[in-house]
Amino acid sequence: MHINYWRELTRSNFGKLGLVLLCLVLVIAIFAPFLARYDPGEPSLSILMPPSFAHLLGTNDIGQDIWSRLLCGAKNTLLVALGVGVFTTLLSTVIGASAALVGGLYDRILMRVIDALIVIPAFIVIILVAAYVLPNVWTLIFLISILTWQGGARLVRAQTLSLKERMSVYAARTFGANKLYLVIRHIIPDLSPILFAVFIHSATRGVFMEAGLAFLGIADISTVSWGLMMHHALRFYYLDVWKWWLIPTGLALSVTIMALVFIGHAFETAMDPRLRKMEQEDWQC
Amino acid sequence: MLELRELEVSYGKRKVLHGINLNLKRGESLAIVGGSGGGKTTLGLSIMGLVEGTIRGEILLDGKNLVAVPEKALRKIRWNQIAMVFQNVENALNPVYTVLDQVSEPIVAHNLRDRYDAKRRAEELMKMVNLPEGRFLAYPHQLSGGEKQRVLIAMALANDPDLIIMDEPTTALDALTKVEIINLIRNMCNERELTILLLTHDLYAASMLSDRMAVLYAGRILESGFTPALLSNPRHPYTRGLIRCYPNMTTTKDLQGIKGMMDFLDTGCPFHPRCTQSIGICREKAPKLEENDGRFIACHRGGIIPLLEVREVSKTFDSVKAIDSIDLTLYEGETLALVGESGSGKTTTAKTVIGLFEATEGQMYLEGERILGRDKNFYQSVQMIFQNPMEALSHRLSVQEAVREPLDIQKQGNREQRESMVRHILEEVELPSTQSFMNKYPHQLSQGEAQRVGIARALILNPKLLIADEPTSALDASTQAKVVKLLLNLQEKRGIGMLFITHNLALARKISDRLAVMLKGNIVEEGPSNELISSPLHPYTKDLLKAAPTLSANVLVVPTNNKNDGQGCPYANRCSKATEVCFKEKPKLRSCSSHRVACMNLKPEKEE
Repeated sequence: MHINYWRELTRSNFGKLGLVLLCLVLVIAIFAPFLARYDPGEPSLSILMPPSFAHLLGTNDIGQDIWSRLLCGAKNTLLVALGVGVFTTLLSTVIGASAALVGGLYDRILMRVIDALIVIPAFIVIILVAAYVLPNVWTLIFLISILTWQGGARLVRAQTLSLKERMSVYAARTFGANKLYLVIRHIIPDLSPILFAVFIHSATRGVFMEAGLAFLGIADISTVSWGLMMHHALRFYYLDVWKWWLIPTGLALSVTIMALVFIGHAFETAMDPRLRKMEQEDWQC
Repeated sequence: MLELRELEVSYGKRKVLHGINLNLKRGESLAIVGGSGGGKTTLGLSIMGLVEGTIRGEILLDGKNLVAVPEKALRKIRWNQIAMVFQNVENALNPVYTVLDQVSEPIVAHNLRDRYDAKRRAEELMKMVNLPEGRFLAYPHQLSGGEKQRVLIAMALANDPDLIIMDEPTTALDALTKVEIINLIRNMCNERELTILLLTHDLYAASMLSDRMAVLYAGRILESGFTPALLSNPRHPYTRGLIRCYPNMTTTKDLQGIKGMMDFLDTGCPFHPRCTQSIGICREKAPKLEENDGRFIACHRGGIIPLLEVREVSKTFDSVKAIDSIDLTLYEGETLALVGESGSGKTTTAKTVIGLFEATEGQMYLEGERILGRDKNFYQSVQMIFQNPMEALSHRLSVQEAVREPLDIQKQGNREQRESMVRHILEEVELPSTQSFMNKYPHQLSQGEAQRVGIARALILNPKLLIADEPTSALDASTQAKVVKLLLNLQEKRGIGMLFITHNLALARKISDRLAVMLKGNIVEEGPSNELISSPLHPYTKDLLKAAPTLSANVLVVPTNNKNDGQGCPYANRCSKATEVCFKEKPKLRSCSSHRVACMNLKPEKEE
């Protein structure tokens, strides 16, 4: 069945909202250096200031401008989203698709490995690892990806198994196509909706986990991360700072995650005929 | 009695006959068949010594070389030893004399009898050819075509010749008159031991009147042999083409022509521009008429070649035998229809041949060479049309991209060449080659259009073998008719050998030269389509024929009984004639008349 996914995405309200929000975060991340008035990492003598014209959201305990840190934190969040998304999708594709295409013992071994890995709680493993190395943003991306690709790989494998039995793939074989051609020209393009879904899903999870870990204090102190900001803000819960320190940061994080979730939801609706039908019926009511 | 040795006739610079060698025994009848303009009449006239061109070679009549005989002596031989029934009845008779006068003329002219006796003799002859008595004194324009033909035959018989050359004696006649004339000639032959050289393009007359047959094309004999064998199993592509385009009640396949026009060529095989299996040497050297398995054939490739041979191929899925040691041969330019109910292994056979499945046992040969690995070259000569066109086309590829895909994979030509090939092939399958159509995606096409795109994809590599797996079962009847016609036309043009898989026997009979009936992975009967349809031997084929669509309502009871233990004849549980042996032992495919059939009860059935 031929579906124009982009059109389906922009047609649904959730999809539109998600895209707008994500664009907003993206614009902020890109223009942060121009919008921020202070260096987000630069401490100053004016600590724990309430919002004023000079500091729109006040300053934190070591005198850094919270507004500037909020703006720059977007970059970190999106980097994690993109990094985890790309890396996880890549791992899932390579492992899932190769298992489906090669089959046999290779497939069976990989599937059992996935079964084993899927029970490992990623969060706890990362906390344990962090006890030895304090992860910077790249190690974090790597750790999250390496611990969460299994679900995606299963999805990709299932889809590839069905794709390789398609008549159009058989037809290409009767023209003399080799395996590489089939993978590049037929299987990967037809996998792309699934891959996009895996990407969005893992990006969302990546953002969530990074924020969660940072909130628990597992992050390089020098990174400008929303999770880390909330971690610090909570230490001064007895002051009024949560109003301009904790809430805006939490909101920013929520908006980003919501944007991703909305896009994912709209996309899933477009892909799943059953969901699509329910949606259409809702519209008619 | 008559022998032609290296006979060559040319009109000026144009050579009309090339190296003809023929041998005709006394009492024998030989038909020279071929399209018009092939040199048949020139051959007849040159034996009579009436040809206006230059003759080289020898024409031996009872050992005497007629070419060397001077005109005066030749006149004595003419009509006394060799007579001719001329073509074109309308002009052969003189309009100002009565037919009686004209029949007696050769007798008088040769001073055999006096005028009175000659007339009595002429009357006798005319009675013998069944001309009504009141017509003896009629003028030619008062006679019908059939009567004029009788007069001409009487005239040829006038001086009791040994050899009669008949040039198209039946061509212009209606069916019943034709049969009368044919019977007349047959009776005469039986009574008088006449030797007949029949020149005709009418295969029916040739089959009725001749013992042997030679096929003449552009001044060369391409094939010769005994008439029934030659007609039922033509082995030169031209002979097959002649038979295919001759409308008759025996053939069930639609009429098919021969591509191109006849042309007299100085070099190479005269048929090569129209031949679908010609190779390099065919253009350079004319083939010699050589004996090959009881037949004389002039072809560099030894006649129609077997394109695909499947030998004892089996395919097993886990423990299920999907196909069980099947044997098939598909000749160049031929359609072999594989029919049978669903689940009988037809598609498995197709996919095993094309290489989507690996055969468990057995060998396959393409143009005589064993198929070992299937590389890009293999797929250039073997292609497949899939059952469901919508599924076989990727939904992401536009028509243009889909049709170009085989070329992309095979890396043929540059982009522009590929695109022009795509446009050309789209026109060939009768689809628009406009940009707007080529930009369409499969879901924007109708079923018929999509299947044509599928056919275009299969044909763009110019394959020799096309495997069509139920190519029309997803289409409605009118679209099916168009697609089938298209395939037959392409076969005519390119000589594609087609393995046509269908469950529709009525369709198979219209498009196939041969039929193979499959049941539970076995071929139970195989033979020429017309014979298999008209006289099926296997009970399963009979039941299939009963179930084939007709336009008259009849209630059909097909036996169903499902206790089958897997051994024995695959049809035993449904066969009305099954005996105990049928459940125990599996019958082998045996030759039986022109079919091959696998049935235990065959012999008792024949005795009935």
